Amino acid sequence: MNVDPIRAQILIRRGWRITLAALLALAVVVTLAQRFTPTEVRQGLAQKIFYIHAPSAWCAFLAVGLTGLASILYLWLGDQHFDRFAATSAEVGTIFCAVVLTTGPIWGKPIWGTWWTWDARLSLTLFLFFLLLGYQVLRSAIRVPTERARLSAVVGIMAMVLVPFIHLSVYLFRGLHPTPIVLKPSAPSLDPEMLRTLLISFAAFTLLYVGLVTLAYGIRLAQEAEEQGHA
Amino acid sequence: MPETPSNGGYMVAAYVVATVIYLGYVLVLWGRAKSIERLRD
Repeated sequence: MNVDPIRAQILIRRGWRITLAALLALAVVVTLAQRFTPTEVRQGLAQKIFYIHAPSAWCAFLAVGLTGLASILYLWLGDQHFDRFAATSAEVGTIFCAVVLTTGPIWGKPIWGTWWTWDARLSLTLFLFFLLLGYQVLRSAIRVPTERARLSAVVGIMAMVLVPFIHLSVYLFRGLHPTPIVLKPSAPSLDPEMLRTLLISFAAFTLLYVGLVTLAYGIRLAQEAEEQGHA
Repeated sequence: MPETPSNGGYMVAAYVVATVIYLGYVLVLWGRAKSIERLRD
C-alpha cells in the first residue's frame, strides 16, 4: 500500500502543535497543583504526586485499550492503518506506564514507608509494562510486515485484556493501593479544589496522549514513505 | 488535628522524573523527525 508523504508531514505538524499545547497545559496543571490547590493534611506535599500519577495511569490504560481495539480491527480488516496506529499507541503507552511506575514508588516511600510492595495493582501494572516492552521487541525483531502486524496484534489484545483487571484489582485483592476516588460508581470523594485540579490534569494528559500519538504516527508514516521511495 | 508531614522532596522528585521521561520522549520524536528531513534533503 502506497503511503502519502504529504499526509505524513501534515500529521507531524499537527502532532507538534497539539503536543506543545499539551505541554503548556501541563505547566498550568503544575502551577495549579502547587499554588492553588490545598495540601492534604495527612499526606502532606507528597499527595500532589497524585496529580501526575493518576492521569498518567489513565493515559497508559487509554493507550493500551486503543492498541487492543486497533489490533482487533487489523486482524479483522487487514488494514495497515490499524497496525500502524496500534504500534504508535503502544509506544506512547509504554512512556505513560513508565511514569506511573516511577512516580508511584516515589509517593509510596513517604506514605507506605516502602518504595515497592507486591500488591496486585502494582504487580499487574509492572506486568503490563513488560508486556508493552515485549511488544516493541517483537515488532523490531520481525522484518516481514504482515507477520509482524499479525503477531504483535495478538500481544496488543493481551495487553488490552489486562487493563480492566488492573483497574478492578484493588477491589478483587486486598492490598495497599488506594481504591479509585474518581473513576468509581459513586460520586468522586475529593475536595472540590483538588477535584478541579485533577480533572484539568486528566484533560491535559489526554491532550498530551493525542499529540504524541499524532506526532509519532506521522513520523512512522513518513519513515514508511521514505522506505518506499528508496525501494 | 494531625501534623502535616514535610515530604516536599518526594513531590519534587516525582515531578522531575515525570518531566524528564516526557520531555525525553518528545526529544526522541524530534530526533526521528529531523533524521527523516535529512534523508529527504
